[in-house]
Amino acid sequence: MLFGKWMNALPTLGAVGGGMTTMVVVAGGWYYLTPDFFEVGYMPTQPGAGFNHQLHAGELGVDCRYCHYHIEESPEANIPHVGVCYGCHAETRLQNYQYHDVAWVREAYAEDASIPWRRVHKLPDYVRNFPHHVHIKAGVSCYSCHGQIMGQVVVAQEHSLGMGWCLDCHRNPTEHLLGEEDHDKLYDLTWVEEHFKERDRSGVGQIDAEAVLDALHKAPPQNGTACHH
Amino acid sequence: MAQDQCPSTKGHKTPNAEARELATVAGRVSGTGASGPMKAWRSPEEFADAPEFRDWVEREFPAGASELEHNTRRDFVKLMGASLALAGAATIPGCRRPDHKIMSYSSEVPEEVIPGTPLFFATSFPLPGGGAEGLVVETHTGRPTKVEGNPLHPISQGASSAWAQASVLGLYDPDRLKFPVFNNPARGRLDATWDDFRAWQGEHFAKFDATRGSGLAFVVDRVSSPTRDAMKARVMERWPDAMWVSWDPVADETGLEGARAAFGQPQAELLSLDKAKVLLTLDRDVVQHEPGALVNARGMSAARRVMHSGDAMSRVYSVESTVTLTGGMADHRLALASSRIPAFAVALAQKLGESVPAIAAMARDLAAPTGEDIDAEFVEAVAEDLLAHRGEGLIVAGRTQPGAVRALVHGLNEALGNTGTTVSYRPLTGDAAESPAAWMRTLTRSMAAGAIDTLVVVGANPVYDTPNEIGFEAAMAQVNTTVTLSVAMNETEALSTWSLNGQHPLESWGDTEANDGTIAPIQPMIAPIYDPAMSEVEFLALLAGEENPDGYELVRAEWSRRLNGLSGDSFETAWRRALHNGVLPGTTDPGDQPSVNAAAVTRAVASLRVPAAPSEGDLEVVFTTGQLRDGRYANLSWLQELPHDATRVVWDNPVLMSPKTARDLGVWAYDDPNDVYTGRQIPKARMAVVSVNGTPMELPAWVCPGMPDGTLALELGYGRTKAGAIADGVGFDVTRVRPGGGVFVARGATCERGRGRYQIVSTQNHWSLEGRETIIREADKPAWDKYGDELKVKPDPIYGEPVISLNFAERLGELSHTPENRSIYDNPYNNSPDAPDAENLTKDHLGRPIPPQFSRGPQWGMTIDMSTCTGCGVCTIACQAENNIPVVGKREVAKGREMHWIRVDRYFLGDDLDHPEGLAYQPIACVHCENAPCEVVCPVNATVHDDEGLNAMVYNRCIGTRYCSNNCPYKVRRFNFFDYSQAKFKAGSPLTEAVGVEIPNENFIPPRLRKKLDEIQKMKMNPDVTVRGRGVMEKCTYCVQRINRARYELKLQDISPADMPDGFFQAACQQACPSQSIAFGNILDETSKVAEARKNGRSFGLLNYINTRPRTNHLLRVRNPNPKLRKPYDEPFHHGKHDDHGDGHGSDHGHDHGDGHSSDHGSDHGEAHSAATKRRTLKLPVLGEVATVPTAQDLLMKQATGGLA
Repeated sequence: MLFGKWMNALPTLGAVGGGMTTMVVVAGGWYYLTPDFFEVGYMPTQPGAGFNHQLHAGELGVDCRYCHYHIEESPEANIPHVGVCYGCHAETRLQNYQYHDVAWVREAYAEDASIPWRRVHKLPDYVRNFPHHVHIKAGVSCYSCHGQIMGQVVVAQEHSLGMGWCLDCHRNPTEHLLGEEDHDKLYDLTWVEEHFKERDRSGVGQIDAEAVLDALHKAPPQNGTACHH
Repeated sequence: MAQDQCPSTKGHKTPNAEARELATVAGRVSGTGASGPMKAWRSPEEFADAPEFRDWVEREFPAGASELEHNTRRDFVKLMGASLALAGAATIPGCRRPDHKIMSYSSEVPEEVIPGTPLFFATSFPLPGGGAEGLVVETHTGRPTKVEGNPLHPISQGASSAWAQASVLGLYDPDRLKFPVFNNPARGRLDATWDDFRAWQGEHFAKFDATRGSGLAFVVDRVSSPTRDAMKARVMERWPDAMWVSWDPVADETGLEGARAAFGQPQAELLSLDKAKVLLTLDRDVVQHEPGALVNARGMSAARRVMHSGDAMSRVYSVESTVTLTGGMADHRLALASSRIPAFAVALAQKLGESVPAIAAMARDLAAPTGEDIDAEFVEAVAEDLLAHRGEGLIVAGRTQPGAVRALVHGLNEALGNTGTTVSYRPLTGDAAESPAAWMRTLTRSMAAGAIDTLVVVGANPVYDTPNEIGFEAAMAQVNTTVTLSVAMNETEALSTWSLNGQHPLESWGDTEANDGTIAPIQPMIAPIYDPAMSEVEFLALLAGEENPDGYELVRAEWSRRLNGLSGDSFETAWRRALHNGVLPGTTDPGDQPSVNAAAVTRAVASLRVPAAPSEGDLEVVFTTGQLRDGRYANLSWLQELPHDATRVVWDNPVLMSPKTARDLGVWAYDDPNDVYTGRQIPKARMAVVSVNGTPMELPAWVCPGMPDGTLALELGYGRTKAGAIADGVGFDVTRVRPGGGVFVARGATCERGRGRYQIVSTQNHWSLEGRETIIREADKPAWDKYGDELKVKPDPIYGEPVISLNFAERLGELSHTPENRSIYDNPYNNSPDAPDAENLTKDHLGRPIPPQFSRGPQWGMTIDMSTCTGCGVCTIACQAENNIPVVGKREVAKGREMHWIRVDRYFLGDDLDHPEGLAYQPIACVHCENAPCEVVCPVNATVHDDEGLNAMVYNRCIGTRYCSNNCPYKVRRFNFFDYSQAKFKAGSPLTEAVGVEIPNENFIPPRLRKKLDEIQKMKMNPDVTVRGRGVMEKCTYCVQRINRARYELKLQDISPADMPDGFFQAACQQACPSQSIAFGNILDETSKVAEARKNGRSFGLLNYINTRPRTNHLLRVRNPNPKLRKPYDEPFHHGKHDDHGDGHGSDHGHDHGDGHSSDHGSDHGEAHSAATKRRTLKLPVLGEVATVPTAQDLLMKQATGGLA
């Protein structure tokens, strides 16, 4: 007998096995082939001694806008020019911090050279202009997209920055907005983190969605023309 | 000539239809009622309308366009092999996340630079040959990307020309000169430095101090600039005997001559076309490529824009030998050989002289011109019109006309009282008053005689653009030393001893003087890209003896001299304000009215010798200039790919002639004139041998309806040999046969068939909206005055209920016949604002009903006014610059793959191929249908609607099925068949260095192997717009990047985008349009320009009868015919056999037609009907006769009426 009776089970097995394989592949792809897996945690080494956000922004309390000073007026969050670094780290200043490695900043300043910072948060080319200024204006804190920068020695990507992630917030923005009265604390990321935790736990301080949407004049856009052009 | 273009009249057999059947391309269709509707066609092929042609246009792209080239399977396999092998190595690093650097600014950053936000600076653009435009340049972190017109500059007033738009392309041209080159007689061309040159020049030029400059000659590009003039003065002060030629090969020589005769001094004409109720142009294109073109286009458009019945409108007559934009605008266009136009002018003067004695004196010494081509009726009508509008008329003549005619025209304008109202003058002095051709001839003679030791060429290219007859190149061999300063590579620089790299106007200091005397600064937008380099003024200052000339200081010095009395702080204030505003206040000359020396005009006219009409052995050749002008813009690919005004030919300059002339000479592409379309492809052009003054030249022949018989048009600027990758080998250099002396017309030419054929690529048949003639609509002024403001409530033919109101323009189209058909492309997201169904509104996440789509502002819309559109194509170039649109090259355009988002369709009107009665231009871009047919067929949701009415294209979703393009009724979607925007482009032979295989088309080279754009070219890209890759569909976005930028600004100010003020920002095409024909804005804002235009009676949606609900509306064109020449068509709404439509287009508009067509089909309407129904009929090849083909409409009607009709 060329074909045993056991072979009758093959189609069933094949179907079940095939189905399971498909599921595993899909599930695997679902997780591994998304920005959630590929992008989150990207932590490039910065040039020189790098920039310690935990120290500067966290411990020393330097405001985000001291360096990213165009954030409220430009779609792009600018990188500070070398003069900003040198403003504090000049040879004549902050003598007690000499032990920190800032010689490379001074060199760059002396040579009038640029510092080639490595980009952490990168949107694809077909996404034009994430408008930082408009988001800040609406009351979205840095924390919502960049995570707790004040606690990061080396900045790493916190969220996927995938389109689904963008749309989650645009569909339901109130969770990530600060009320008008708290806009002065947008850059105090530790406060923002605590505030969000507290708000989630107690429900106190929830913002009135309707009022916010009215203040924004229009719900956040959810269509292609908002970002793709 | 209002046209009833309703397709439901299609197929009805009429006497005229039979005539069409009998007609051939050769013959004039009989029965062309001068007052009847006209056929609109874009090419001889479409005119003949053969079934094969219909097959051809039915395809979205020409047959074979989607396939690889023939016999390339082997190549394809080879390429794939090579590609795979390399792809393996190339993709491995591709798995890693690319390492992006953000380069910080160094120790200092300019205070005003905000990364991500553009800065705008005012500057100006020197127009070649004199004149200027004011510009505002958009720069992104120090790199200019887009040029706009300066609203404060009196010439530009916000608009700009295609040349100015394309100047950024010239700035980033990789073929620019990058460093000095010394041509060592023994060792050839050697790279050198500016220090070498400085060291050399000090010694070399010092020797002319002794000779007072004799033996030294300068050829400088003719521009008008105060600082340049000052530098000339310095140079001439050092060397008084040096020869100075301010060179322009296509200068308006006869304009100088004519003004000198009439006024005793050369004068610039300042036209006020907005005040001209009657305009006659004699071979002059006033709306483009002349110093006042932007003003003229704006003025003409103001005089022709009618918004309501009874609005005044100018009348334009055009007598011309080539088809120009002005001729296209004209209400009456007379095609007449350039050499015969003087006869027309004299005939007109004599006619006018019958009423005006002063004019009679001017033309008395010449016999009345004779000849069939001088249309006496036309002359009489124009004369009467001009006499009826004394002081409100204007006559202008162009550079092809002899000085005597130019002088006569000045005399006529003065005698008719036009001077001072519609035209005024500004005296020309200095270089502008000199004749370049005469000087060039003198110089060349001196050079040939060995009298010139050193020749300095600044910005000019005489080796290429001097007519061969002058013999400049040969004479240059007799010159010991030649020094050339040039921005781009050119033929002169290649032969020079020293070739020096100049600064582009966008990277240098300078100034300009516009046609009306307005002085404007040129300020650098970017540091010189190829530093060190020198601007023209710096270079001249260097030669004049200044050690380290600095353009900034030179301009300031000259300006402080001009602003005499101002010094110190007050000068500083004036200077800074002028830099900020881009104009020096108080320099605009309103023009004055010098008196004409009538006796001198009489003498000049008496000396006129007008030849007989051209004939086969004595053809006329007219030298024309187009987008490339004299060749200086040849390396700007945008201008090469912008279709020619009349023929829509790209990348070539065939000799143009009328269809009859082409047939007579045997150079038409078709062997049998009756059989204009035989194969699957439109046949290639035939080569022709054109001999001018005995010099033969071979070039392809191309037919241009609307030209007079016996005239050949040769376009200058092509056939460059040393201009760079774009221009080299493109077209034919017609300066070889051009006579010297700055003339544009030659007689006694012959033309015969040459050997072989040549592929000419014209876009005239591309994107044809086959069988959809109503897209082009026109009406005569009387019809508009009668019905323009009427709204018709159209009863539904089936249910009899009033459903929609139709305006004037809509009643001319299908909508007046179509039953309501709102469901074909119903958009599920579109709760129509007309009928918000509150019950069923979808809810948002807060449970609030989402208001009907498109009912909340802003809702974007656009209108394009075809009454004022000249068809110049600046919108196309502005769009290309703003939206990073690539050029594709001749080979790809041949396959219908041009990428222009906004195309300008050109139509000829009339039933005679040889003598079209007029032209019409229509820009079409994506109309952003509210019910977009493209969206329903996209399998991946790559094209979707947003809530502000934009039909969005999401590039990253697009998988390239091209279904959308197939389903687009407007044919406005463009597909990236290849990597057009990222691969390096070369116009001539393909770039095959990258791979070892012989490639017939460089686009077949796999992307990884193909040469990429130079880094310098990437700087041109607008950072706010995605650079599209291969396999992606694209189309007009309504400049969504500008919408978003405006929205950001408002949100930051706490203003709702719905309250955006009208004109807060502009679309790129709208901003550039010289005739202000495009309005764009929020259609829900009742006060906006666009809403106002949409409410206008001339506004209609293209093909709206299929219920696409376009957001871009076109405004139909109104013509203002002279009843003496053509009976105006004032009853446009007559239709053919429409009785069976019921009261389909109820025309209760009060004329004797009664209520609709159903009853009372009076016999008095019979003729009108036959004229009205003269339409393109379907010719069924099998039956070989005209058949009545029932339309879907008819079938629907039959069902509705139970077949009773």
